[in-house]
Amino acid sequence: MDFLNPAFWTFVAVIAGIYAIMALGLYVQFSLAGLPNFGHVAFMATAAYVMAILVVRYHVPLALASLAAVGAAVAVGLLLAGPALRLRADYLAIATIAGGEIIRYLAMNLPELTGGPLGSMGLAGPGNIAMYNQDWMALLNRLTGALSGALGHAVSRDLTMALLVWILAGLLIFVFWRMERSPWGRVLKAIREDEVAAAAVGKNVFAFKLQALIFGAILGAIAGLLLAWQIGIFSPEDFQPTLTFYAYLILILGGLNRIWAIPVGAVLFSVLFSGTRLLNFFPLSLIDSGNRAFLRLFLVGFLLVLFMALRPQGLLGNRKELILEK
Amino acid sequence: MLAAPRGGAVLLEIHDLGKSFGGVAAVDGASFGVTEGSITALIGPNGAGKTTVFNLVSGFIRPDRGTVRFAGRDVAGARGDAVARAGLVRAFQAPRVLTRMSVLENMMLGAKDQPGERLGMSWIAPRRVAKREREVHARALELLHLIRLADLANDYAGTLSGGQRKLLELGRALMSEPRMILLDEPMAGIAPVLGQQLLQHIRDLRTRNMTVCVIEHDMDVVMSISDRVIVMDEGRVIAEGTPDEVQRDERVIEAYLGRLGTVGVGGPPRGDAA
Repeated sequence: MDFLNPAFWTFVAVIAGIYAIMALGLYVQFSLAGLPNFGHVAFMATAAYVMAILVVRYHVPLALASLAAVGAAVAVGLLLAGPALRLRADYLAIATIAGGEIIRYLAMNLPELTGGPLGSMGLAGPGNIAMYNQDWMALLNRLTGALSGALGHAVSRDLTMALLVWILAGLLIFVFWRMERSPWGRVLKAIREDEVAAAAVGKNVFAFKLQALIFGAILGAIAGLLLAWQIGIFSPEDFQPTLTFYAYLILILGGLNRIWAIPVGAVLFSVLFSGTRLLNFFPLSLIDSGNRAFLRLFLVGFLLVLFMALRPQGLLGNRKELILEK
Repeated sequence: MLAAPRGGAVLLEIHDLGKSFGGVAAVDGASFGVTEGSITALIGPNGAGKTTVFNLVSGFIRPDRGTVRFAGRDVAGARGDAVARAGLVRAFQAPRVLTRMSVLENMMLGAKDQPGERLGMSWIAPRRVAKREREVHARALELLHLIRLADLANDYAGTLSGGQRKLLELGRALMSEPRMILLDEPMAGIAPVLGQQLLQHIRDLRTRNMTVCVIEHDMDVVMSISDRVIVMDEGRVIAEGTPDEVQRDERVIEAYLGRLGTVGVGGPPRGDAA
């Protein structure tokens, strides 16, 4: 593949934008409210599955199915909140990682409902390939047409999607940036620092944590829906716990506790992660492509470690803040 | 020094309060009252149950039995944040400041009645939120000047010294304009100069008709600032009265000296309380 292939980088841009929204959901939970949610991917998986099932099985209009999907993710959040918000941070991390895996295993093992290991393709039963995103593609095609007309030359569908995703990401980040700077955000940050101290000055810690968890669920659901629409077919394997870790990586690479660092982190992560796919020149081309794929993951890990060693506060983070113990 | 409690009504009244941890009764039938507008010291040997009483009263631990009435309301078993909103605010033995937030933010968090803390209010009623925020900001700066931390307003609270943290925690508690404040060993581990300053602040609280209940081990401090002294031992109140009365009380002397005898180590019982 050509290093300067614009189609490839447009696709990377779409995924980076979706990851930015996913990471924003984690930001609200982890960086604002101090909830180490390691099952963030559960919200994405729930939303994607509910949307696809409603569209394919019950012929629900896409918009309605998507709303229901966000609602379902919130329901998962509420279900998780009961036990999880009463746990200390370290136990919460364990409980949420289990929660995320439960959703994935359910998807894997309830083929009648979810298509099983086949994923969304199996939703219409054997022999029928199920598609859930025709409506979305139609919309995207119309937008692409309009955009091409406006710009005077042809634009790719992925470029339209990239613009759409990044505009949405920017808007959402702006909304939460304002909320972070409001007294509401101040209470959340106080809970992150020391929830006992926050309670001691009269803040209802549980209610605030619940709000953060629900916002995280909604943002995760949006990211899950966008991802499902973009990739067209998904299976339980697309919602591995690693996706949650990508979200953490994005927050850390950009700079912890800096909301505008999220898009920076998302781009940096995507470039590191996808850019290494293009390392197929000499002498790396001597290695066969299967081994190169493994080598690539080593390289991604190495680059991440190197980055953290040289700049532990992330690109936009504050080193002074990093050394203050909680 | 005031010889007798002031004529005010009883603001905080606890009756037969009990709490056990495993088989150990940390608080075992403690009863006392705190008069409005007074400074009341809670003293006693280590393990007497003083801090546990604070935790029970302020809602951070649920009592096994007994009642806690604050300003006429039963608050036993209420959550810590609800007790704080009712006007009974506490400071901790080891100060709990929000380290990665600025000193000013720490203070502003303490304010009550900020509509902007409710979800979405900064979108629905931005003016009202901004107006209250200006008031809170001004008040925070005023208090920071008072506790002489104004120069550090924009620093991370995590960079403050232990003594400064205690001052900040006191300031944050005062931001909520409480009717009563519980101070757990405010003088412990604090530099003498800051200590004197803190003591003066505590005295000032009384002149503003705030009620103070303080756990303290330094007897000179206890005798000099308090209107009344409550002495606890083994989870119970064993004596109560003016500093002079308590100093002469035989049960009190016995509790301190007796404990000293059985443990067999020198020095007065002081330092970290259970």
